[in-house]
Amino acid sequence: MTDFTIPILEDQAGWAARYTTGWLKHHQDTGQFDWKLYEKPSNAQPIAGGAVKLSQARVVLISSAGGYLRDSQAPFDAPHPYGDYSIRLVPTGTPLNQIAIAHDHYDHASVDADRQVLLPLRHLEDLAREGVIGSVSPNVINFMGYLPDAARVVDELIPHIIEAVYAEQADAALLVPS
Amino acid sequence: MGLIARAVEQFGVATTVATWNGDRTWLTRPPRVLFAKTARGSTLGAPGDAAQQRRVIEATLALLERDAPLEPVTLDEA
Repeated sequence: MTDFTIPILEDQAGWAARYTTGWLKHHQDTGQFDWKLYEKPSNAQPIAGGAVKLSQARVVLISSAGGYLRDSQAPFDAPHPYGDYSIRLVPTGTPLNQIAIAHDHYDHASVDADRQVLLPLRHLEDLAREGVIGSVSPNVINFMGYLPDAARVVDELIPHIIEAVYAEQADAALLVPS
Repeated sequence: MGLIARAVEQFGVATTVATWNGDRTWLTRPPRVLFAKTARGSTLGAPGDAAQQRRVIEATLALLERDAPLEPVTLDEA
């Protein structure tokens, strides 16, 4: 696991304790979601990072739309009340009609009409051909963005994503939430 | 996405986020973020509007050519 100098989630232990005794306990006790009890994750400290020359950069797309390969990958566990913290790698050249969506927490009307509103694979290929970016990484990193447990995001999801970003040999990442 | 951006940036890979939900995203202090006035479920623009999608993507990618941290940049795309 990468050792981060600056916390990904400040006061993670305190946040996790409040989540567990607040929102999570309420749902476990009642079966009801009470979002008034949910503390949105927050940070105060910024993260510094160097610029890249876009025309020479290999860009990886990280999407929370819940995309997966319809014929060969298991869907995300979209109905799970506490989320699914796994990832699916989808080859960037995949025809858009071979990508299915598993995510129960946004309206799929737009992404069903046009995958590129969340998964801009063809646009990124065009940008690489035009020289705006250096190249696109071989795979898109996908996850399902309903993730109420921010501590699990840090401890489970992010290590998967870091490993994938490393494997893609990316210089830059475009993150597109749904 | 902000938490993921913070981790990937510290790993040494520059990050940029496009979001329709700027207030929520900014709470986590990602290194670079573009606020688009688009809709939930169609972050990069309207379905079928490839030109708008390209404008949002290119504006988001352009932030990578600047050192982080950046204040959020708002793109007037709706």
